[in-house]
Amino acid sequence: MYSILLADFNVLKPDPGLLFWTLVVFAFVYFFVGRAAFKPIQKALKKRDTEIQESIDEAKRVQAQMAQMKDDNARLLAEAREQSTRIIAEAEAYAKKRREEAVEEAKEAARKVSADAQRDIANLRDSAMADLKKEVGAMALDIAEKVVRKELKSDASQTALVKELVNNLN
Amino acid sequence: MKLTMRLLFLLIFGLTTTGVFASGEQPEPTEQDSGAHGEEATYDPVTTIMGHISDANEFHLWGHVSIPLPIILYAPDQGFTFGLSSMFHHGETAVDGYVLNHGRVNRVVDRSFPTGHVDLGEHAVHMSSHEVDGKERDLGLLSYNGQEYELEQPSTLDGGLVGGGITSFYDFSITKNVFTMLLAAFLLVLVWGSVRRSYEKNEGKAPSGLQSLLEPLFVFIRDEVTRPMIGEKHYERFQPFIMSLFFFILFCNLFGLIPIFPGSANVTGNIAVTLCLAFLVFLVTNLNGNRHYWGHIFAMPGVPKWVLIILTPVELLGLIIKPFSLMIRLFANIAAGHIIILSLIGLIFLFGNNGESVAGAGMGAVVGTAFTAFMNLIELLVAFLQAFIFSILAASYIGAAVEDHEHHGHEHHDEEEAHGYAAAVKHQH
Repeated sequence: MYSILLADFNVLKPDPGLLFWTLVVFAFVYFFVGRAAFKPIQKALKKRDTEIQESIDEAKRVQAQMAQMKDDNARLLAEAREQSTRIIAEAEAYAKKRREEAVEEAKEAARKVSADAQRDIANLRDSAMADLKKEVGAMALDIAEKVVRKELKSDASQTALVKELVNNLN
Repeated sequence: MKLTMRLLFLLIFGLTTTGVFASGEQPEPTEQDSGAHGEEATYDPVTTIMGHISDANEFHLWGHVSIPLPIILYAPDQGFTFGLSSMFHHGETAVDGYVLNHGRVNRVVDRSFPTGHVDLGEHAVHMSSHEVDGKERDLGLLSYNGQEYELEQPSTLDGGLVGGGITSFYDFSITKNVFTMLLAAFLLVLVWGSVRRSYEKNEGKAPSGLQSLLEPLFVFIRDEVTRPMIGEKHYERFQPFIMSLFFFILFCNLFGLIPIFPGSANVTGNIAVTLCLAFLVFLVTNLNGNRHYWGHIFAMPGVPKWVLIILTPVELLGLIIKPFSLMIRLFANIAAGHIIILSLIGLIFLFGNNGESVAGAGMGAVVGTAFTAFMNLIELLVAFLQAFIFSILAASYIGAAVEDHEHHGHEHHDEEEAHGYAAAVKHQH
């Protein structure tokens, strides 16, 4: 019975009908799955792969750019800070200088004013002294005239007169 | 401990009952009925298993219940005959000289047999052993009106090497195998069509649903099979073909593992199917072979002239041997898997001594069920593995044919040609 094994082994006999239908069905699979589905899927996958790669590259580029910008900003900020410090220092120095100049000017003016005043005072005093001297001279002449006139009447009266004049003078 | 034992017994008992119940539904015992002649009703494992892995013109469920399939027959002297397999009434009706013998259409050799629908009665078709060329062969016989008519099977293309040959008619029917292939093809179109639409719908977005289930498989085949085997430059051109091969074989293999309708057909375990696929690989490989490929076959560079006398015929043989190995590998693996599972199920009937020993049948059911479950898991692995191997080898053959040979890497390529697959795999890593 077992000797017929090969004879009965139908699956080892290629049936032309089955061959034909396998060809038909596989052609169907190739055109309607292989070309109609696998091809676009491959394209879509490839597109997605490149897109993902591009996004990663782009992100890396942007990150680098951001880092660069951050550095730039920090540098600019430091520069600005330095500049502002410098400007303030300069302004302070200028203000100080200006203040000192103003004080000096004021002092100068004051000195000038006081010098003028002293000169005026001295002038006035000098003129006053001159006036006084002139007045005293005139008065002395006046007194001397009156003394001379009274001497002529009595000695007593002359003395009294001199005394009176001297008192007046004081 | 006691509880564990009880559970164990319950489990075994449960398995036994389901096994016996399942065995009641198995078509094995009834298989012989249609051609039974008294003592022939005993269980013959070889005939049963061969019947089960063979192609059939109907989907046999149990007893006389089967799902009919379309019949397309062609006889050069009679033209085409169309119909449904149900018109044969499981071998009890002959139509234009055609009868159903164990699920397969046969033709009465004697042309004087009446045409049209002829009622034959029960058990008219039976098998008998004959001595043909010193070998015992099964011969289909038809008893009608007290006369024995010889039957012939559909033509096969083995040229008589394994007992077939061209007969007086050809069977182009939608057989069980063709039906399963069509089913697999439509399922592939449905599944991958929907995945393709998802790629259009979800463009620029993450995959979802079926798409995310099948994308890893697609990417796996692309990154492990087509890209490394065919090369960065050419792989996209051949990818639809290689992937069609992989998924077609995979789906057919998986359908074969389903024990009930619409599965159970031994599609990729039939030499006609693997022959067709291997032939396509042969065509694609050699039609795309470049100058270097043919140069390496007819005049291997760097080899003394006199060696070519030996080497060239070997290389030419290799052209045929490569696809031939593809054909045999897939066929043998899947057919063997089906045979092992059917043998394990057959243990139920062998141990049961054809229904005499219920205890034996129970024992067979326990052993058979456990081993079948185990084998089914292995077959699941084999279904993926064989689809993978077929496609990776097809890809490596195509890769060798389209590879661009640069002069600085010549020796390496020669080695690759010589060692074929092994070197190609090594090259990949």
